[in-house]
Amino acid sequence: MTQAVTRYTALYESLRSRRRRAEVPKGLDRIVAAATLAARDRGITLPWLRAEAAAIDAMAPEIRSHSEGALDQVISDLRDAFIRSRHSGARDYPTLRRALAVVREVARRETGEEPFPVQLMAALAMYHGRVVQMFTGEGKTLTGSLVAPLLAWRRRHVHVFTVNDYLARRDAQSRAGLYARCLCGVGAIQQDMGERERFGVYALPIIYGTPKQITADWLRDQIRLGRQTTAWGGRQAMSLAADPGVEGAGAGPMIPGLRAALVDEADAVLIDEGVVPLIIARARRADEMGAVYLRAASIAAQLDEGPDYSIDHVRRQAELRARGRHRAEGLLRAAPEPIFRARRRAEELIRLALVARHCYRKGHQYQAVDGRVVIVDEYTGRFLPDRSWEHGLHQSVEAKEGLDVTADRETLARMSFQRFFRSYPFLCGMTGTVADAAPELRRVYARKIVEVPTHRPLIRVQMPTRFFRSAEAKWAGVVDSIGEMHRAGRPVLVGTRSIESSEQVSRRLEARGIAHRVLNANFDKEEAELIAGAGRRGAITVATNMAGRGTDIKLDDGARDAGGLHIVLTEMHTAKRIDRQFIGRAGRQGDPGSAQTFVSLEDELVRLNTPGLAAWVRRAIRDEELPWSRRLAGLFRLAQRRAEARARRNRAAVLRQDDWIEKNLPG
Amino acid sequence: MAAERPTFSPLWHRVRAMTPRLRPHCQITRQHYRGRRWHIVHDPTSNQFYRLSPIAHEFVAMLDGRRTVEEAWNLTLQAHGDAAPTQPEVLELVGQMYNSNLLSVDTTPETEQLLRRGRERLKRRVQQQAIGIMYLKLRLFNPDRFLAWLEPILRPILNRWGFLAWAAFVLWAMYRVLPRWDELAAQFRTATDPSNWVWLGVVFVIIKAIHETGHGVICKRFGGQVPEFGAMLLVLLPAPYVDASATWAFPGKWQRIAVGAGGMIFELFVAGIAAHVWLAAYTPGIASGFTAQLAFNAMLTASVSTVLFNANPLMRFDGYYILSDLLEVPNLMSRSMKMLQYLSQRYLFVLRDARPPTTDPGEAWTLVIYGVAAGVYRVFLFFAITLYVMGKLFAIGLVLALWTAAAWFILPAGKLVHWLATGPQIAEHRGRTIGITAGAAALLLVVFGAVPVPEHRRAGGVVESVHRSGVFFGAEGFVIAVHKGVGDRVEAGEPILTCDNPELRFRLATARADLAESVSLEQQFTTTNPAGAQVAREAIKFRREVIAAVQERLDRLVVRAPHAGVLVEGASGVDPRTLVGAYARQGQGICDVVDTASTRVVSTLDTALALPLYELGAGGYSVDVRPVSQPDLLIHGRTARLIPGAQRRLPHAALGYAGGGDVATDPQDRQGTTAARAQTYLYVEGLEPEAGATWLGAPGERVSLRFALPSRPLLSQWIDRLRRLIQGRADV
Repeated sequence: MTQAVTRYTALYESLRSRRRRAEVPKGLDRIVAAATLAARDRGITLPWLRAEAAAIDAMAPEIRSHSEGALDQVISDLRDAFIRSRHSGARDYPTLRRALAVVREVARRETGEEPFPVQLMAALAMYHGRVVQMFTGEGKTLTGSLVAPLLAWRRRHVHVFTVNDYLARRDAQSRAGLYARCLCGVGAIQQDMGERERFGVYALPIIYGTPKQITADWLRDQIRLGRQTTAWGGRQAMSLAADPGVEGAGAGPMIPGLRAALVDEADAVLIDEGVVPLIIARARRADEMGAVYLRAASIAAQLDEGPDYSIDHVRRQAELRARGRHRAEGLLRAAPEPIFRARRRAEELIRLALVARHCYRKGHQYQAVDGRVVIVDEYTGRFLPDRSWEHGLHQSVEAKEGLDVTADRETLARMSFQRFFRSYPFLCGMTGTVADAAPELRRVYARKIVEVPTHRPLIRVQMPTRFFRSAEAKWAGVVDSIGEMHRAGRPVLVGTRSIESSEQVSRRLEARGIAHRVLNANFDKEEAELIAGAGRRGAITVATNMAGRGTDIKLDDGARDAGGLHIVLTEMHTAKRIDRQFIGRAGRQGDPGSAQTFVSLEDELVRLNTPGLAAWVRRAIRDEELPWSRRLAGLFRLAQRRAEARARRNRAAVLRQDDWIEKNLPG
Repeated sequence: MAAERPTFSPLWHRVRAMTPRLRPHCQITRQHYRGRRWHIVHDPTSNQFYRLSPIAHEFVAMLDGRRTVEEAWNLTLQAHGDAAPTQPEVLELVGQMYNSNLLSVDTTPETEQLLRRGRERLKRRVQQQAIGIMYLKLRLFNPDRFLAWLEPILRPILNRWGFLAWAAFVLWAMYRVLPRWDELAAQFRTATDPSNWVWLGVVFVIIKAIHETGHGVICKRFGGQVPEFGAMLLVLLPAPYVDASATWAFPGKWQRIAVGAGGMIFELFVAGIAAHVWLAAYTPGIASGFTAQLAFNAMLTASVSTVLFNANPLMRFDGYYILSDLLEVPNLMSRSMKMLQYLSQRYLFVLRDARPPTTDPGEAWTLVIYGVAAGVYRVFLFFAITLYVMGKLFAIGLVLALWTAAAWFILPAGKLVHWLATGPQIAEHRGRTIGITAGAAALLLVVFGAVPVPEHRRAGGVVESVHRSGVFFGAEGFVIAVHKGVGDRVEAGEPILTCDNPELRFRLATARADLAESVSLEQQFTTTNPAGAQVAREAIKFRREVIAAVQERLDRLVVRAPHAGVLVEGASGVDPRTLVGAYARQGQGICDVVDTASTRVVSTLDTALALPLYELGAGGYSVDVRPVSQPDLLIHGRTARLIPGAQRRLPHAALGYAGGGDVATDPQDRQGTTAARAQTYLYVEGLEPEAGATWLGAPGERVSLRFALPSRPLLSQWIDRLRRLIQGRADV
């Protein structure tokens, strides 16, 4: 009976969250919304946070004197007070202050780490729905664990989003004591978990997991709910009355509503990856399309770029010219597949094949693993084994690689993180690098940013960017520089943008006989071990963005004495924030460190975004390496800005589309 | 082209498995536009419309609540191949139709979504209302029962024969009324009298109510529902309206046109009746009676307002919808705007992805022409209405002007800026697009802000004469010859006419004989009789004097011009030419000589107009004078004196409102010679008619003055004018 009620409540809450259709206000509404936001939050300022943190800090001696039993009693009382405030919604500052002081004390007793006042400030800001900017290595995990129990008390469930499964598991385990003391159960969602296990975890107050896992679970719930919008309809759709013992059926939704979200690396999750849709698809019945894609690929191979077609690398589009169209028609005349009779569809297939041929490169966007095409995540550098591109692109790439063409997959549900996170009535986050995303966060999520000062000063040295004329010269320069740092005994982390370039660096280092290790999607099994070794004296790690965020590289004493971790960034990313994230691996928690960026005029960034300018500079100069100059730095920054602007536009377009769908389509 | 119509949509899964169906009460009618078939889906309960192409219609018709969207799409695809709608197109179609409540879906509708939709509809209505403050709409009642009663009564005449009878009746009324144009004009003057305004308003409202009933009845005649009757505050005047949008679903073009024209038909019928009443009630010469006045009011509003507003296709009244149906171009206005938008995007901003709203060249031209005409008219209307209202009620006019300017000009400009800043179509060429816009704006700014254009100011004036003298007979006599007549130019001393006086001639001869006698006596007595000689000498002197006196009177028989000038009729009003043979008494006036070189024009100017003239000085501008009675005649002149001033007395009553001039006079002053505000006096002298023309400025003649100021950019002229308008009105 209780179980049935719980399931019914879960269903009701799930539908309620689903009906939350947050919309980005437009026009005048936007001004009104901005004004409301400003008015609501006017009290939460940095000085206020500092004063509050000081007040909490002052409570420490008194609370420290409590016996274990007395402390438990205090916690229980506080929790009840928070639960009571669920409905009144009042802001009770003294209780909040006391609660933070108590959780801090619990953290001290249970984990041995006592949060600093800046961490209290950050926790407080997050409790008020802020995205907090804290420099890497300032103890974000600890800060998150201060606020998570309070949010769980107040809002029943809190989802804590981490960068990867490993971190989710690690944090959930390492904080379990603290949370248990705060009367909150904690669990972590892992990729390899079964459905039944997941049910158990989602019922807990604090849930750790990656955005992908939790969003996918949410989507699966939605698929099972179908287009039902009422609890009654949903009850029938999920056949709640059925025997609960059966796996899946009759179990109700997995996630009992979206209540509160605490997002680590908020900028990456909410902004950069915000528009990458998470898709749940199933393979369609086997069809005879394989031959069609192979045919299209062979025709694409016969056409000539220039006279027959043009490629827009930026938008990843191909356009057939009259000659190409004519030639394709001639080549298609012999094709037995009936689909090529429909002109527009045939042309579409050929364009797709051309895009697959020119815009998607092995080692960059995908990798062939065991005879399959596996997508490489642009932002994290990891494999996305169960994902595929839509509408024949995946098949076109498979055809181009000469692999078996898989069956077309059929989308069942699809949601962007942007949309998913807007479904939470409460959202807060932490990040190392968010400042330049502030306007977007404010507009899309109605969240403000608080920049919390560092506890320990940052002593990372930023060395001037080095500019090269050709990619060849750049790689040589990179390898020289690595060798130099290596001789000084410093650990070096080399950041590359693709699997292919990481392997290229590796080959060059091998040629020089420099020992090193490579961390990319191909070697993701050894990740934890590689990261653990990356901070040792003299270690060289060549990594893709896999090492970009959420990775804590601990230095050994020898490395610290030699000058700390040195970061070599071999290319600029499409957003400055991502560069900074990678560079943020050095100089953590007051450690020494340095970073240097290497760019060339043949880099994809400038080739795509400032093609004319980059080509002109390349022609105008003769030297292989150019001294740092404001103009050159400006050129690269311009290219990066353009890429950022384009990404921003894409996100805005997805947002508009999401809003349109929510407004116009049922269910 | 094909690149923009991808077959697949990533959002397809949202509709794929849905089994929607067209709501059962929706009606679908066929319409033909330019030879192409369209299907109009109409929901009579909510009055929503949706226009479908034949293939889209086929697709929608397949949605029966059992078939899924994907099945229907696949069937369409098999039937039509490349012409079938693509997935994104189907998504949009389903979304829009669902959003218009034309499709019902297999799930329970979500309350939040429905409420939000309702809220948005309300918001849109409020927004439209806010923009069109000139047309505030108030919903009053549902006229359906009234129309259901009236329509069967009128049905026998709502046909072709009824129309012909109506046309004959209206033409007959015109035939009777139009010849009496002068009387109409006289009545019109009384109609514009403020005392009549209230009645004009009352008649207007009644007539417009009849007009709307006309739409309603004809709409009903063809089976449409008319759910709403209301009043629209059209520039502060309540104008009734009906919601006859059911017409849009009428299959026949002429049916739609008939509903559109129905209002005007009813109204002109009323005008015809009123014309006959007026003819019966109006008696010329006598102050018109109330009946005649009311009938005239009705005639005026029912004909003039109908022709000016309702029939005008450039405003969104009846004429617009009629034209739209005649041309077979639906949504004429919005698509015209889209067409112009497309043209500027395609050719000004060189955006290759811009898509025209139509591909039919004939329709495209129609859209362009209509769009330009409507745009120009809108600007004209803005200035006409706002300036008119500002003239009457300054504060309201100002608010109206600002509001309308915001809605019509500033809002579109803001949208343009917003588009430039964020428009996704121009994302790749934002710099270039902004550059082009800035260039175009700069060009406009140069044309209006830097290219000097001649500037003119106007004022009324009255001719005054400085030097004018009468011509009189100098002596008695009979006129024997006339040398000059009225209108002739004379030099000083030039003979005008010659008289004869035989008596004088005789007296001269006598006197001469007497003189000769005295002379001979004197010679005789010189040596013999000194005393006699002395007497004779005295006599000679006397006789000589007599001769001189007579000679002088004889000379005066030739009447000469006292000074140079032109002969004009004097107080007696006679032309010297008619005087031949007449008897002239001494001192009798003949005519006047006017010295044209010294005629001047006096004018009074508002301070705002006088100021630039004063600053420029007499040499800084030129003045042209044109007599009001002879506007073709151009007379050059120069400003002699400008007396800036505190004068309120008008130099001539003809300058004031009461005298037909354009200076506002003090309502307290019965004479009409006191200006409401201080005036600057301006005298124009040295009046010189154009070569070949003669003009005699009769004192009191009204003229108009045109000051040609130095050329300067239009923008600064306009700003000046606006400032003058505000200054001029604000201190009233």
